[in-house]
Formats: sequence, C-alpha cells, structure tokens
Amino acid sequence: MSYDDVEIEDMEWNEELQSYTYPCPCGDLFQITKEDLKLGEEIARCPSCSLYITVIYNMEDFLGDSNQNRTNKPLQPSKQQTVTVA
Amino acid sequence: MMEVKSEEKDESNERLWSWGAGTDGQLGNGQLQDEQIPQQLSLSSHSHISSLACGAAHVIALTSGGKVLSWGRGNSGQLGHGEVVSNMLYPKAVTSLDEHFITHVSAGWSHSGFVSDTGSLFTCGDGSFGQLGHGDYASHSSPIKVSFFVDQQVAGVACGMRHSLVLLKGCLLNQVYGFGSGKRGQLGVSKDRIKSINLPKVISGFEDVEIVGIAANGDHSAALSVDGHLFTWGRGFKGFEDSHIPQSLNSTLKFTKATLGWNHGLAMTGEGEVYMLGGNHLGVLSDLHSVCQANQLTVDSREANLEKVPGLDGTKVTDIATGAEHSVLVTDNGEIKTWGWGEHGQLGLGDADDRTSPVTVRVGYDLDEAASTRVYCGSGFTFALTKF
Repeated sequence: MSYDDVEIEDMEWNEELQSYTYPCPCGDLFQITKEDLKLGEEIARCPSCSLYITVIYNMEDFLGDSNQNRTNKPLQPSKQQTVTVA
Repeated sequence: MMEVKSEEKDESNERLWSWGAGTDGQLGNGQLQDEQIPQQLSLSSHSHISSLACGAAHVIALTSGGKVLSWGRGNSGQLGHGEVVSNMLYPKAVTSLDEHFITHVSAGWSHSGFVSDTGSLFTCGDGSFGQLGHGDYASHSSPIKVSFFVDQQVAGVACGMRHSLVLLKGCLLNQVYGFGSGKRGQLGVSKDRIKSINLPKVISGFEDVEIVGIAANGDHSAALSVDGHLFTWGRGFKGFEDSHIPQSLNSTLKFTKATLGWNHGLAMTGEGEVYMLGGNHLGVLSDLHSVCQANQLTVDSREANLEKVPGLDGTKVTDIATGAEHSVLVTDNGEIKTWGWGEHGQLGLGDADDRTSPVTVRVGYDLDEAASTRVYCGSGFTFALTKF
C-alpha cells in the first residue's frame, strides 16, 4: 500500500538525480522522473526500501513539455489546436 | 526521576550504541550499511556525550563541555562543518561553534539547530523552505546565528522535516515561534494555510500556559506545558484532519515528555506510563490498511486518538524516542524496547521485521546497572546512550 499521497508541488526537483523527490521515512528519497510523469506513472519509489508514494499531479503539465521536445514525431495533419492530452 | 543527572559519575563509563539505516554513515561506526543489531561505538576520541539529536541521516552530539560533534549525511550542509560533503563516517567537531557553550541541539530532515547557554540560536543545512529562519531560502554549511532572536533568550529548538520551532525562556506572552514550511499547519502561526515563512513568527494559543518543551518531526509539531498538558498541531494523526493552530489534548493525564514521528507520537507521564498518539496505529506501517478509516472524524476527538502502549505490564518507563515510523523506550530496570517499522534494522532485533508491541533489544550489557539510559531516533535509525 502507498505510504502517502504527495502533491507534485510538495516534491523537490533534484538536479543530480534528475528526478522529483520527497523524503522517505527510511532517510532516503522517493523519486520519480519527468519521463515517468509524462507516461502517467504516479508511483514514486524509494531506492533503499520497499515503500512508495502516490504522486498527485496533472499529466498535461508534463505532456506540454514533451510535445515541444518531440521534434522527430509527425504533427497531427492540418490541426492547429494545441494538443492537451496524448 | 526521568532526568537522571550523572555528572558526578566517572564519565569514561559511558557507552553509545547505534543500529538501523546506515548508508550515509549516520551510525557513526565508520560503515555505510544498515545494522540490525546494536553496534557499540568507541568513545575514546570524543569525550562525554551528554545528548544526541538525529535527523534523516545525520547525528549531532552535544558534549558535557558544550561542544558539538556531527556525522552522517552532509549534502545540505546540515553537519555544520563549513562544507557540503556527501557524508562523514566518524564524529567530527563543529569548530565554528567552539566559542559558544552549546546547551541544546536538534536535527531535522536536512537542517540543524543549536542553542547556546547565552540564549542564542544557530541554524545550518537546507534552507529551501525557510526552515533556517534567516529571512531567505538559502542553505548554509556553517551554523549562522538567527538574528531575529538577538534580543531574546532562546531555550530550545525543534527541527521537523521542513520546519522549525523555537521556545523562548522568560517570555510568557511570546513563548513559541515557528518558521519554514507550513502547508500542513505545522507552524501553528495562522488559521490560514501558509505555504512557508522564512522568518520566525509567534504561535498564539499559549498566552495562559507556560511551555517547557517543544517537539517537531515530519509535518507534526507539539508543545508541553509545565503542568503536563500536551498540545499538537500540523498534520493530523492517522487520518485526523490537519490543525493549523495548537490543539490541547483533552486528557487528564499529566505528561512530562513527548516525541513525534511522521504518523505517530509518544507521550510519557510522570508516573512512567507511555501513551501513543495515532490511535491503534501500533505496528505503524504494519497497520497501514486501517489508516483511512478515521477520515470522517474531526479534530474534536483527537483525544480518542491516544492509547496506552501495550505489553509493558505496569513496568515504568524512563525515556522515549520516535523515529519516522518506529518507537523506542527505556524501562526503569534498564531495558531498551523497540517496536514499529523494522525494514532497516532500526528496531535492533537482528532482523528486518516490523513489531506491533515493544520488544527488548539486547546490547550485550546488563543495563540494570546503568545510572541512566537515554534513547534517540533518526528517521530510520536508533541510538542508545548509557552512563554507568
């Protein structure tokens, strides 16, 4: 069972780990990458123990980022609307 | 009874043990690994430890001469050595505090607080939530004096996950201050939701009582009055709603010490009885599936959330400590007992199992002979300090 539900705004971006992190009661950090968030993953795991948390976030907030970077993917034909959900 | 002073004893007969999570060197035994049974530390090189404070993965030791040692994780400057280090395997002096006589220390998730005999407060470590109290969000690797309190006498400091509490002495109207992250109400400074503040702000609600002790861990805060009333605020225990102002525990019991975890707390009475906040959340993590059942309850029934720790059969307790998800107590016949989450060996019972009631830890000595045994918990590890 998930140890806790944590909002993404309460997690910290860790440059070294390239992950959003939140304190784990074991002393290590729960971690989840932007790539995981783009994929809709909501479980952040601790590398040192069996615990995990559920991350509360809007997938759209991370997909926007993804679309900008995805230059090698073909755009939707003749649609000028911004893509909000994959 | 509980505050056994033993200065007159031969201080070389002092023993220190550690166990539990150790991958940042926080056990002080020169290793970077978890230990499931108590490790006795050599005290020859650093003398006369009088008390400890343990954070996420760092430890601050106070000597009877007012000096400070620290070890463990140092990636946010929380060790106070003037540099950011990933970890320190052995106790090292915090030399920048040498000109002060330090009387009290506290360790939060990744920040640290120090109080001097002249009532000055120093903080170091992670400041990104304002938890250092310097008016900004900067981090510091050396202890910096908190200038907000220069004209006041600080008696104590308590560091939580991302917040700090300060207790002043001789100041009945403005006794307790909070700063840092306040999202769960842990600052207690306003009924409104506060994201964070980086300067100390007074906590109201203590105008008619004298506060003698404060505690912080996780997103919880607590204060104890001179007549034994316990106040809690911050994140609600076991599904109870958060409280943004101090709530008095509606109990006739008179408490002498209270400690907090991330989802539970312990409170000890003058008669040596121990109660647990967080309801029947006894195995702590073992009982997680029942956590959500109390969601419909209100703050008014917080006192129903207090239960006597089982299995002690009337044995008196002389000290208590709480990690994030485990608990430790000392009985008056010198036994150390642990329960709660055990995955990192923090219960010291030789395995990684959880326990739902107190079990005796074997340290290899008959602690019945000890003049005093005190226990201290970091998030996932435990220390015991014994004076013979």
